[in-house]
Amino acid sequence: MIITKLALPRRTFLRGMGAAVALPFLDAMVPALSAESKGAPRFATVYIGNGANMSQWTPSAEGANFELSPTLSGIKDFRDRLSVFTGLDNFPGTDQGDVGGQHPRSAPGFMSAVHAKPTEGADLQAGTTIDQIIASKICTDTKLPSLETTVDRIDVVGACDHGYACAYMNCMSWKTPTTPLPSETNPRFIFERMFGVGSTVQERLTRAKEDRSLLDELTEEIADLRRSVGARDRAKLTEYFDAVRDVEQRIVKAESTNSDFSVPDQPVGVPGTFKEYVELLFDLQALAFQADITRVSTLMMARENTGRAYPEIGVPEAHHATSHHDNNPAKLAAYAKINAYHVQMLNYFLKKLDSIPDGNGTLLDRTAVVMGSGMSDGNVHNNYSVPVIVVGGKSLGFRGNRHVRYPKGTPLANLMLGMTDRYGVHIDKFGNSNAAIDLTTI
Amino acid sequence: MRRRLTFLIAGAYAIFVVGYGVRGKAQQLAAPSSPALAASQPAAPQSSADPASPGAAQQAVVKRYCYTCHNDKLKSGGLALTALDISAPAKNIESWEKVVRKLGTGAMPPAKMPRPDKATADSLVRYLETALDRAALDNPNPGRPGLQRLNRTEYKNAIRDLLSLDIDVASLLPADTAGYGFDNNADALTLSPALTERYLNAAAKISQVALERPRGMPTPETFFEPTDRSEAGRFSDEMPFGTRGGLAIHYVFPADGDYLIETHPKENGANDGFENFSTEIHQLDIAIDSVNILSAGLGGPEWSGRNRLGPKRIENEQKMLEKMKVVVHVKGGEHLVQAYFAAKTATVPEDLFDPSVRREPYRPVGGVPKLSWLRITGPLSGTASISTDTESRRRVLICSPSSATDETCAKRIISTLARRAYRHPVSDGEMEVLLLRYRAGAKEGGFESGIEMALRKVLLSPKFLFRLESQPPNVAANTPYRVSDIDLASRLSFFIWSSIPDDTLLDLAAKGTLHQPEVMRQQVTRMLADPKSQALVDNFAGQWLQVRNVQTHQPSPETLFHFDDNLRKALEEEMRLFFASIIRENRPITDLLDANYTFLNERLAKHYGIPGVIGQDFRRVTLPEDSVRGGLLGKGAILMSTSYPNRTSVVIRGKWILENVFGTPPPPPPPNVPALAEEKDPRKVLPMREQMAAHRANPVCAGCHSQMDQLGFALENFDAIGEWREIYPSGIRVDASGQLPDGSKFNGPVELRKVLREHSDQFVTTAAEKLLTYALGRGLEACDTPALRAIKRGSAGDNYRFESLIQRIVVSVPFTERMSVEMSNHLAQLKLEPKGR
Repeated sequence: MIITKLALPRRTFLRGMGAAVALPFLDAMVPALSAESKGAPRFATVYIGNGANMSQWTPSAEGANFELSPTLSGIKDFRDRLSVFTGLDNFPGTDQGDVGGQHPRSAPGFMSAVHAKPTEGADLQAGTTIDQIIASKICTDTKLPSLETTVDRIDVVGACDHGYACAYMNCMSWKTPTTPLPSETNPRFIFERMFGVGSTVQERLTRAKEDRSLLDELTEEIADLRRSVGARDRAKLTEYFDAVRDVEQRIVKAESTNSDFSVPDQPVGVPGTFKEYVELLFDLQALAFQADITRVSTLMMARENTGRAYPEIGVPEAHHATSHHDNNPAKLAAYAKINAYHVQMLNYFLKKLDSIPDGNGTLLDRTAVVMGSGMSDGNVHNNYSVPVIVVGGKSLGFRGNRHVRYPKGTPLANLMLGMTDRYGVHIDKFGNSNAAIDLTTI
Repeated sequence: MRRRLTFLIAGAYAIFVVGYGVRGKAQQLAAPSSPALAASQPAAPQSSADPASPGAAQQAVVKRYCYTCHNDKLKSGGLALTALDISAPAKNIESWEKVVRKLGTGAMPPAKMPRPDKATADSLVRYLETALDRAALDNPNPGRPGLQRLNRTEYKNAIRDLLSLDIDVASLLPADTAGYGFDNNADALTLSPALTERYLNAAAKISQVALERPRGMPTPETFFEPTDRSEAGRFSDEMPFGTRGGLAIHYVFPADGDYLIETHPKENGANDGFENFSTEIHQLDIAIDSVNILSAGLGGPEWSGRNRLGPKRIENEQKMLEKMKVVVHVKGGEHLVQAYFAAKTATVPEDLFDPSVRREPYRPVGGVPKLSWLRITGPLSGTASISTDTESRRRVLICSPSSATDETCAKRIISTLARRAYRHPVSDGEMEVLLLRYRAGAKEGGFESGIEMALRKVLLSPKFLFRLESQPPNVAANTPYRVSDIDLASRLSFFIWSSIPDDTLLDLAAKGTLHQPEVMRQQVTRMLADPKSQALVDNFAGQWLQVRNVQTHQPSPETLFHFDDNLRKALEEEMRLFFASIIRENRPITDLLDANYTFLNERLAKHYGIPGVIGQDFRRVTLPEDSVRGGLLGKGAILMSTSYPNRTSVVIRGKWILENVFGTPPPPPPPNVPALAEEKDPRKVLPMREQMAAHRANPVCAGCHSQMDQLGFALENFDAIGEWREIYPSGIRVDASGQLPDGSKFNGPVELRKVLREHSDQFVTTAAEKLLTYALGRGLEACDTPALRAIKRGSAGDNYRFESLIQRIVVSVPFTERMSVEMSNHLAQLKLEPKGR
């Protein structure tokens, strides 16, 4: 869609910004926005690396009468829409004879239920991730196929494991088993992806037209070039070709569906604190859902192996070092604090989604939000009984108010398979799944 | 078009003959035709080997010392040697190269197993090296680099060299993922729809700005001051004397016009409003290129303790913000925008070394007002006009058309741009496509609009964004061939400059003389002397030595409260200047380990406890022989980036040394490492050294940690930001003694430095490996090892000086050659002609 209305005057917006530039910058704009979608389903995934202190994460009782655990108490307001799953194994994340790679394998295992291939080369391989499988069903007519975001910089040197391409840890979403989707860190880039470039309708239209014709010529240029190079180079050019085609088609789609959705002012950059940063990325995702720019999003809230410290909550130690707690009580407490902090961040997103009307309910009713990690106890890189919760999605048939414990050896993939079903994706198998968890009856 | 093609093919043939005709017979290389080859010549085979059965004696050594573990059954470390024929090592290059490496560095046989004496081991290593090198000469395998996309840094530099335009690339493109330690790795540089959109935006914006033709509403650009920057004094050379703190920004103004420049004071996060304002007036100045454009007195009665948060707070703050902004007419092009406070003796200086003045993370108190950010918006609507004499316009618009229908000038401009951007002579076909764009643009908005459109197209072309290399016709598949001079020009410039080749390189390549040894040598010397070779410091060293991470490292403000942004900048600058001195002064690469000088300013000297350095300019400081700061391991940048935010880690530092000095990165820890015994009582948690000892008592861990931890111990006197300490915060005295498995003992950084120096040969190998990985943009394989040895041999006579290493790399087989591939439709040349439109 081409955005045809300009939001509040810039000055109004700028005035509200202080040192904390990323304070919920979109809040002021929300009244100007009008809900667009016709009750379409949405899907959001939040990944946290390095596992969790499971003793503080897992509720003790099962069923509807479970008591919220200390870590999960940050989302107590959403308890009626919360399902906690215990006992699900990320078996694909285990080493299976490979050397190293505990961290790189965890996220692909969680998201795709496929064992990542140990390689630093171009032959990297995992599986198509849950979000992309769902996106291919529900985002066929949205401006963006999906939105991938992260708060961790990928240009930190030496942060990837030997023998494993950085993509395994940097990317949460894989479009195909061989195409990881880079996650975006810059809020402004995300904003421009969502709304296009330009500040007037005319500008946006002109730009879209120019871009489309440039892209059109470009496909020919690449196609020609592709015919005259070897196989390996051809694969690279094909990647460019496909990307160009993809963008071109999205522009065509945008041009054909006019909308009077107002464009809020763009964010100025990367906020200075973790909290503001995460909130801003959640704001953008909620906005993308609200404006129906896309229906699927991911946020890597903590990359595997991340060394981020959280002095603001009294954890000056690096996250990864904390996760290797050696059963030291102080470190275990710090580990749980980080987990609880991340859950509190999720609460912000849930509140946001729940405050936005959509159809005859709220956005949260139409969105299943999954949060979890590919590891349970980070101390020993354990991939069994990983932390995973699902919140929201009432109108998709998701039930809440549940803590379900599964027998030993139940693949996490069963949950993912059950999830795809709620989105109208009917597949028999997802990674190593051996049954589907029926989310409407649990 | 036809003529150029023929020329290229002829050129390629010529190279083929010169560079390739002698291949296939190693004897002929015994009388080398160039100094480059002479230096690469391996030593003659050992005469001691049994002539009847070459290698019989060596086979016996391998059998005696290696078969116990490396047999077909056990295959320890994935290596089985029993079935291999040592008289023909070329058949199992990978396995034998492993043997050379492990035996040569003394890593094998493992401790407690029988070891051959040094002479025997050396003889075996020499035998294998000789045989493997000879095999590589007979059957060279230059490998096949993947198709490299320009990474973000290369893109920025290419724009600088193409258009004389300095872009803030981080605001245009996302960062790239690394592979094998470097972000120019072909396999890691993927391309997604999201990135394609960024390229579209970047191309549009850059071509507008280059020609000073901005369109649409101005986008505000905001620049933040780091929250932990100390504002006690003058911040940088780009600030006038008598000022404190602030921001200095090099900004490219997209056109002549009026710009709004706003500043914003730092606010207190706890909603206490603008920080540190009072009845006392503070003077804020804004200047462009040191010409003052705003002076504002901030503060006054309405900022008294009672009033500042009173009912008029919003009004007061609004008034202050009004005072802090200015609209000014600026000429297009790059200017320095400065904003700062006037220094006053009356202000309370904040003392970062006094923990009592810090009350919460990153927020010094009792201080003075600061800036939070500065924002530039413009040109404001209706005020823009094209600036006629910016550097980038002069660079691009090399002529002007004589009439509206005259295309000669457009052709000249576009072909010059395209030649530089595509890094090859432009074909008629390529020109035709670009001219179509030009005409479409010119029709809409005249000559310059046409140029802008053509430029925008150039910047999106795969020929600009990818480093395509051509293959001469009629080369059989899987045969090595010398890359063309045109491709060689790009290989050189992306290696040394991280950018596109300049006209000199392109001209030499077009003449077909670039590959000549003497021409190459001169060019490399010239390129290293060019300031653009700073790319080797920022990109190569920045990644190899992990200095890039200094920028994002966040030391814990609770334990390391005296860390600030000023120190961060100083640590980076020291490393940059130090590595640059190795290049600029053409020093032996081993000087990195123990050079007796460094570069300091007052902030850093204070941090290091070195007296006599006053002022914020960096200068070279000679260190005493026993200084703990000599060489890489005394540099705060490395000591900090190998620490956790709040404490040191002997493991990370030890691993860093193993990886970057010894070139023997430890294997990843085994899965499901057993946890150490649980200790519930925090008072009984062991001190670090004892904890590590318990760790090493576990045989699963001991193999690697006995090396890593010990190396790390020697640096324990440096805290997590590289400051010297004798005791830990817990009150325990630092014990910096360590011992390596080979028995060498050391205590503290000075003695460790001597140990490293004894391993300088391994360090040279590591440096050469990292340089070659970076130069090729791919991970190294066993087939590259002979080239590495040739690089080392070739530069040994020159004491491994930086330039000689580079000179050897650029004539090495993997750098100058390429393995041919099967072409999809046997087109000899990149097909440059587009489909007719």
